[in-house]
Amino acid sequence: MHNWLSQEIVEVLEAVWTNEERGNADAAELCAVAMTDVTEELLATCERDGYVTRHNGEVKLTPLGRQTAGEIIRRHRLAERLVVDVLGMTLEESEADACEFEHLLAPNVTDAICTLLGHPRFCPHNHPIPEGACCRQTEERVNSLVTSLDRLNVGEQAQVAYVSADNFPRIQKLFALGLAPGVPVKVHQKTPSYVIQCDETQIALERDIARNIYVWRRAINGAA
Amino acid sequence: MSTLITDNDVHPHSEAVTKAPRLLLVGNPNVGKSVIFGYLTGKYVTVSNYPGTTVEVSRGKMRYSGQDWEVIDTPGVNSLSPQSDDERVTRDMLLDADPDVIVQVADAKNLRRTLLITSQLAELGRPMVLVLNMLDEARTRGIEIDVEGISKLFGIPVVPTVAVEGEGLYQLFKTIHQAKVPLDPLANQRLRLLNGDEFAQALQNTRGGNLPVHLTIEWLQTHDSNLRQGVESWLNRNTAGSVWQDAASRTRIRATAARLNEMRNAFLDQAVGQYKKVLPGVFQEAQGYKLKLGLGLLVLGVLLFAYTELGRLFGLPTPYGLVNGWLDQSVIPAALNWLGSVNLGWLGTLLLGKLADDGSTYETGLLYPALTQFVLLIAPVILPLAFVLRRSERFTERLGYWTRNWRTGVPLMLVVLLLMYEFVGVIGAGTLVDALENNIFNGFLTPRLQSLLPAGIIHDFLVGEYGLISVGLTYALAIVLPIVATFFIAFGMLEDSGYLPRLAILSDRVFRVMGLNGKAVLPMVLGLGCDTMATMTTRILETKKERLIATLLLALGVPCSAQLGVMLALSASLSLGAVLTIGGVVLSQMFLVGFLSSKIIKGRRGDFIFEIPPIRVPVFSNVWKKTRYRMWWYLTEALPLFLLGTLILFVLDRVRVPTPWGRLSGLDMINNSLAPLVTGILDLPQRTAQVLVLGFLRRDYGAAGLYDMVEKGLLTPVQIVVALIVLTLFIPCVANFFMIIREQGLKKALYILAFITPFAITVGGVVSWILRALKIHF
Repeated sequence: MHNWLSQEIVEVLEAVWTNEERGNADAAELCAVAMTDVTEELLATCERDGYVTRHNGEVKLTPLGRQTAGEIIRRHRLAERLVVDVLGMTLEESEADACEFEHLLAPNVTDAICTLLGHPRFCPHNHPIPEGACCRQTEERVNSLVTSLDRLNVGEQAQVAYVSADNFPRIQKLFALGLAPGVPVKVHQKTPSYVIQCDETQIALERDIARNIYVWRRAINGAA
Repeated sequence: MSTLITDNDVHPHSEAVTKAPRLLLVGNPNVGKSVIFGYLTGKYVTVSNYPGTTVEVSRGKMRYSGQDWEVIDTPGVNSLSPQSDDERVTRDMLLDADPDVIVQVADAKNLRRTLLITSQLAELGRPMVLVLNMLDEARTRGIEIDVEGISKLFGIPVVPTVAVEGEGLYQLFKTIHQAKVPLDPLANQRLRLLNGDEFAQALQNTRGGNLPVHLTIEWLQTHDSNLRQGVESWLNRNTAGSVWQDAASRTRIRATAARLNEMRNAFLDQAVGQYKKVLPGVFQEAQGYKLKLGLGLLVLGVLLFAYTELGRLFGLPTPYGLVNGWLDQSVIPAALNWLGSVNLGWLGTLLLGKLADDGSTYETGLLYPALTQFVLLIAPVILPLAFVLRRSERFTERLGYWTRNWRTGVPLMLVVLLLMYEFVGVIGAGTLVDALENNIFNGFLTPRLQSLLPAGIIHDFLVGEYGLISVGLTYALAIVLPIVATFFIAFGMLEDSGYLPRLAILSDRVFRVMGLNGKAVLPMVLGLGCDTMATMTTRILETKKERLIATLLLALGVPCSAQLGVMLALSASLSLGAVLTIGGVVLSQMFLVGFLSSKIIKGRRGDFIFEIPPIRVPVFSNVWKKTRYRMWWYLTEALPLFLLGTLILFVLDRVRVPTPWGRLSGLDMINNSLAPLVTGILDLPQRTAQVLVLGFLRRDYGAAGLYDMVEKGLLTPVQIVVALIVLTLFIPCVANFFMIIREQGLKKALYILAFITPFAITVGGVVSWILRALKIHF
C-alpha cells in the first residue's frame, strides 16, 4: 500500500485521472495537463509500483492506480470546495491553496470535510468529485455545515451557499427567480415536488435540482 | 426563428425623426404591468399567471406633452438573459423597438429580482424610470425600501406606487419625461474583469463599443438552440473573425459568464442589504363575524356541491333537484303562459325554453336551467371562496398549501375538475347548446329559411342536408361556440387564480413517465379547450424533445372542448362501462406513446423550475377580455373550416360519377373505397367513413356528424365506442396540423401524421375485435 507518495507521483496520477476523465489516454497529452514534468522515469516508477499500464503511447490507470488517484482527486476537489465555500476565496485564488491542502489531508480528515460540506458532488470547476465512504453512508453522524437542499427538513431555513450544476442556464434561471448564493431559503414541502420560499418568491423544483443547491444550515438572521 | 436583430438595431435612431416616441413597459410577471399599461393608455389588457398567453404583446397610445406616444406592454420576464419564449420576446423588443423610454415595473417586495433586471437594463443605456409597485403589500410585510438610495444608485427616477388603487400613478405619469439613462453600477468592475478578454475586446469594437457585452456573453450560454443561433448569426455578422467559435473559446466565454454572474450576485447582495430593511411585519388579519360567516358559507357551499354530485349519482333527493322540480312544475309554465299572453312568447322560448309536445317536460332555454345550475351549484362554492380569499391572508396561504401537496391537493383538484365539468360540460355543452340549437337554429332559423327559399339548388346549398346554414353555421355557432366560450371562461379563471402552476406540481411525476415535466400540464389542459392553441403554447416547454412529445400527445389523445362536448352528449346514450372503456383506452395509449417516444426521441428533459404565484381572486373583466380574444381567435380559425367542410360534403354529395357500379356520388365513393377499413377492420357502418374523413377537417365536426348518426340510431353502443376512440386518436383538425407544421416543421408534422393515422385505426380495430371476441355489448 502506498503511504506517502512523492509529490511528483501524485501529480502524475492526478494528470492521468484528469486525462481519462476527458476520455483521453494519450501519454503526450499528459505533459500538458500535469503540473509537473512527466518524465519517462516517473512513468516508469508508476508502472513499476502498479499504478498505471503503458501500451502504445497510452497511459491507463490500474485498479490500484484508479483507487489511489481517485482519493487524491477527491482530496483536491474537496479542498477547492472548502476554500471557495467556507473561506470565500475565488476560483483563481483557490487553486494554489487547494494544492497545499490536498497533500495535508489524511483520509479520515477528508471524510470529515466532505461531511462538513454536505457531500458535494462537483468541485467549483464543475468536475465530479469521486465518492468517498462517507458519501455512501445514508446516516449523517456529523452535522454538515453545508448541505444540499434536499437534505433539509420541511420547515427548515438555510442560506444558499452555491448552486452546483454543469449547466449555466439552470443557474441563470434560479438566479432570475432570486435564488443565488447568500439568499435565505425555507423548505415548504418536499413532495410531490420541492417548494421553497426564497425571499418573497415561492419556487417549485424537482428533486434533482434541489440536490444541486447547497446551503448553509444556519440561516443568518435579518439578511434578506 | 429568432428575430433578435433587425436593421433597426444596426442603425439605431435611423427612423427616429419620423416615428412616434415609444415607451416600453418591462418587468417580472405579475407585478401589475398591465394595470399601469391600462392607466397610461386607457386600454386594459390581459393579466395572467402563465407564460403562454401574454406572448401577444399589447400596444396602446398615450398623449403626452403634445405628442402621441406608443406604449408597449412586454411579456413578464425574470431576466433579460432569456430562458423562455416570453423572455426572448421581451429582449428582442428591447433591442428592436428602439424605445425612447423604458419603464421598469417591479414588485417592491422582491427587491433582489427587481434590481437584477434594473442592472441588466442599465447595460442597454436607454432612458428609464423604475416603478416600485405593490408598496402596500411590502409595507404589511414590514419591508422598507430606500427609494432615494436606489434612485441615486442608478441615477434614475424611482416612483413608488400601489397601482391597483391608483396610488402614485399620476406621479409616474409626470415623471416619464424625467427618465434618465441609468448609471451602470457594475461598469467599472466589469471593465476590470473583462480587461484582456479576447472575446469581450472583439465585442467592444463593434457598434461603437456600446454593445451590451455582459448580456451578450450571457445570451451565448443558453440551451435553447433557436435563441443561441440568433445571437451567433448576429455575432458572425458583427464581429471580426470568429473569436467565439472554437471549443476552447467557448469554454473560456463560459468561465467569463460565471465570473460576471458572481460579480452581479455580489452587487445584488450588497444593494439589497443596503436599501432594504425588514421590520416585524404588521399582518392585518381580518377578524370578526364576517370572515367566520364567509368561512361557514364556504363550507356549506362545498358540502352542498358534494352532496348534489353524490345525490345525482345515487338518485337521492337534492336541493338542486327539488328546486328545479318546483320550477318545472309551477313557476316556469306560469311564466311562459304569462309571457305568451303579453305577446312575448318568443322571449320565453329563448330564455326559459318551451313545453314539450306532451306538455310535461321542457326543452331548455338560454337561462333555464343554466341559471339554477349556476346559482345552486357553482356560486355557493366560488362566491364565499372569493370573499374569504380577499379578506384573509392566512386562509389564502393555507389554501395555497393545500393545493400543492398530495393529500389535500388531489381532492381539491377533483373538486376543481368537477366544477369545470358542471360549468363547461353541463351548462355550456348541455343547456346552452340545446337552447341555441333547438330554439334558434333548428327551431327557428332553418325552418323559416326552408319555407322562404324555393326548392332547388340554392335551397339545398343553404339549408339542405349539407347546407351551409343548416349544418355548417349550426355546428360552428350553436354546438361549438357555447362549449368553447364556457371552457375559455373557466380556463381564464383558473389561469388568473394562480392554480395552474399548482396543478403542474401535482402532475410532475405523471408527466415524467412521458419524458415531460409538470409544466406540460398547461398545454394539456389548454388542449381540452383547443388543441391548435395548445400546440402553440408548447413553446413554454424548454427543450425540443419536450415540445415534440407534447405536440404529439396533444394531437393523439387530448380531445378539444368542442369534441368533448359532443362526446359528453353522446355518452348520455352509453353505459358507464363504455365511457370508461373510451377514457381508459385513450389515456393508456397516450401513456404508452408518451413513454415510448420519450425513449426514442433524442434530447433531454427540461428542468422543472417554476415560480408559484400566490393564489389570487381573478378579476372577471380580465378573464372576460381574454376569453373574448380567444373566442375570436377560435371563430376565425374554426368557422371558415366548418363552412369549407360543409361545402366539400355538399359538393361530394352532388357530384355524380358514372362507375361500373352505377352513378355514384362522391360521398358514396369515399364510403365505398374506405369500406374495407371501416366495415372490415373497425366493423362500423359504411357511412362512418365520411365522418372519419371529415373528422380530419375538424375532429369536432366529425364528432358532430357521429352524433347525428347516433341520433338516427345507426350505431350500436360498441360501434359508438370504437368510432369515438378512432376519432379521438386522429389528428384533431386541419388547423392543428398546420400549427404542427408551423411549430415543428413539415417533416416532423408528416411523421406525426404518418404515425397517428394508422395507429388510430389499429387501436380502433383491436378494441373492436376484443369487444366482439368478449361479446361485450355495453
